[in-house]
Amino acid sequence: MRATVKGRVAIFSPQGFLDGNNAPAYLTIEDIKATEALNVDMLLVSLKKVIFFNKNGLDVFIKLLLSIRSQKHIAVGLCDYDHKKFTTINSFYGGSLNFSLFLTEKIAELFAPTNKGDSRTVLLYNEDPSQRSAMAIELFDYGHNPIIAQSKKEFDEKKKSPDLYYAIIEDTYLGLFGQKIATRVTGNAIIYTIANFLDAEIGNTFNIAYHNNSLNVGFRLFIFDAYKVVSMNVHALNFFTKLASSAAEYNATICFVGLTFEKTPVSFKNDLEDAGMLFFDNMDDILKNKELLQELGGSSAAASKQVRTLNKALVNELPHFIDATVSTIAMMTNAKASKESMSVQTLEVKNTQNQFASSIGFYGDLDGMIILVFPKDIAKKACELLIGEATDDEEAILDSLAEFVNIIGGRAKSLLGEKKHHVDITLPRTYHDVASLMEMAQNKKGVQVNLVFEGSSFIFFLTR
Amino acid sequence: MITSEQITLYIQNIPPTPEVVRQALMYVRAGDLPKAAKCAEDDPALKLYLRTLVNRPIYSFRNEVTDIAQIFGILGTATAQQILYSYLMNLLAPKEWSLFALSSHAFYDLQASLGRKWERILNHLKLHSRDNESAITLLPASIIVCDALFKDHLDEVKQLRSVKALDYNTILQRLTGSTLFDLCTQIAEKWEIPSTVSDIVQASSGANTSISGDTKILGQWMHLLLFYELSQSVYVSAGLNEFIDFQIEFVQDIYESFMQVVGYDESNG
Repeated sequence: MRATVKGRVAIFSPQGFLDGNNAPAYLTIEDIKATEALNVDMLLVSLKKVIFFNKNGLDVFIKLLLSIRSQKHIAVGLCDYDHKKFTTINSFYGGSLNFSLFLTEKIAELFAPTNKGDSRTVLLYNEDPSQRSAMAIELFDYGHNPIIAQSKKEFDEKKKSPDLYYAIIEDTYLGLFGQKIATRVTGNAIIYTIANFLDAEIGNTFNIAYHNNSLNVGFRLFIFDAYKVVSMNVHALNFFTKLASSAAEYNATICFVGLTFEKTPVSFKNDLEDAGMLFFDNMDDILKNKELLQELGGSSAAASKQVRTLNKALVNELPHFIDATVSTIAMMTNAKASKESMSVQTLEVKNTQNQFASSIGFYGDLDGMIILVFPKDIAKKACELLIGEATDDEEAILDSLAEFVNIIGGRAKSLLGEKKHHVDITLPRTYHDVASLMEMAQNKKGVQVNLVFEGSSFIFFLTR
Repeated sequence: MITSEQITLYIQNIPPTPEVVRQALMYVRAGDLPKAAKCAEDDPALKLYLRTLVNRPIYSFRNEVTDIAQIFGILGTATAQQILYSYLMNLLAPKEWSLFALSSHAFYDLQASLGRKWERILNHLKLHSRDNESAITLLPASIIVCDALFKDHLDEVKQLRSVKALDYNTILQRLTGSTLFDLCTQIAEKWEIPSTVSDIVQASSGANTSISGDTKILGQWMHLLLFYELSQSVYVSAGLNEFIDFQIEFVQDIYESFMQVVGYDESNG
């Protein structure tokens, strides 16, 4: 069984009965290897479709989860259960419960270190005050707004108005957490939350691949929320200096917010400033100052002054990327997309109305980005297989469009793999309209392929 | 990926019920087991199938049973009809499984195990009838059809399932409007299997909210039985655990009784 990956959360979904006899059959050696190779922030086992489990059965999955957590410092746990199952799991593991429990997948996503950046108001209650505080801190670090009920009575009262909350968090437990640095996206700025004493360990807990991908896909403003940092040593200083150098290649800006120098040598600040880092006292000094935000590159995702040009290696592989796109559309719709025209140019979208767009980056032996621009009705049609029904809910369509380009990215990856080109793919991005896409892509030269699908045109654009 | 036209073609290519089986079924329905056995003697493939199936460990016979008349006598009319339908399903089964990592023996065992447990369930429910007993034989057709339709799309399904936990039945329904259970019904029609049989299999999808009465009860038990069997390690390894969507809510109220009827040991493993 393979885990399904949505965003940066991977989930195993076994069905039926889970006991010591059958559980090992769910995870072959190949499955374990594939899971170890996943680039995710959270790995979960969903019990939604499990009608019976015993401890021996769960232990098989838990062993894998814990092994992956120790290798990758990611959050691991179980999700999608009811109160009865929650009680059973607690009785199995008691005080030695060292993985997390999330009542639903939706709640688990709130605790994922890398989230999409929407701040959510959630109602939270746990009998154990230390759990309550730990969850509230994590949620706050991830940019959410937790409303904490201090008593069961208060919780039950507040629960009567479920519409006020994105999620109601109960029957949830935070085990040893992943220790990855919390990452969130606000507009076009990426905010990393760091805390306590910073030392060489930051090299393990900071997701450098995510950071590099973000640079590749056009993010130019990175903010370290350092209110809770007590101090740092020379290893952390070196880490940040190197980060600043790599950001300079992309004309990106890195800022520290709220960092104090009571216990950190002031000379470190000078060194970091020399490397190009900026320091601010408050987050709002940046996020609420539009002029400054624009200057720092956080008003759009495309402040790159250094336009990276197409190269021969990438153009040589163009047929694979087109093939991945066309075959994915055929798979999802049972209809064939055909090529209308192709040219090397900057992205040109003639009809900017009623279009959705999505992009996915890749890096490794080759690096670049695939951009797709669809008329909304074509996007809807392409995503029907994933959504399950015709819908006008734009959020649902954009979510599925992200999954759709993820499949294209995955297919391109395997096609390139056959030619011994190893690439990894970034998280997909989606755009509500062409204007927000153009902010990111307007100066980029690439190969534009106009494709026709069921009488409507859509655009495939490959760039760097 | 898969189109309605491909499904139509697949159904068209299913051969009609062999004459020997048709006659044997006719005699079984009339309660004339010796004539049914004589009929079966004329078909070497059917003879081999009956001997192989009946002597699988699930039937727990101490000595090997080889005589066809004796086999029919031991089985009785309802089980004989069930096994003849199982043979029909087996004609449809591929020599080499592609999508699921099954062997022909593992498939025999699945058929036999489903059949034996179904019998216990019908005893418990006191809903014994020839057609109710035969309903379980049609269920594995969904596995056969699934393997046949998806075998040329392994990579595509893998890519799709890497981003969304979709089962094969849901993928098929979203692409073509037909479920694997609809195709079982079409196969039943082609083989002149009574609609009471295919109605129970349709109900076992757990997706039809309009069913009621005994058909619903049988559908619930069959759905849970299927997932009970598909949770056995051999079928999990074969990939069968992911072939349809398990509807927990549909079977929640029969769960406790089911565990008793099948004798499940909760400390397993």
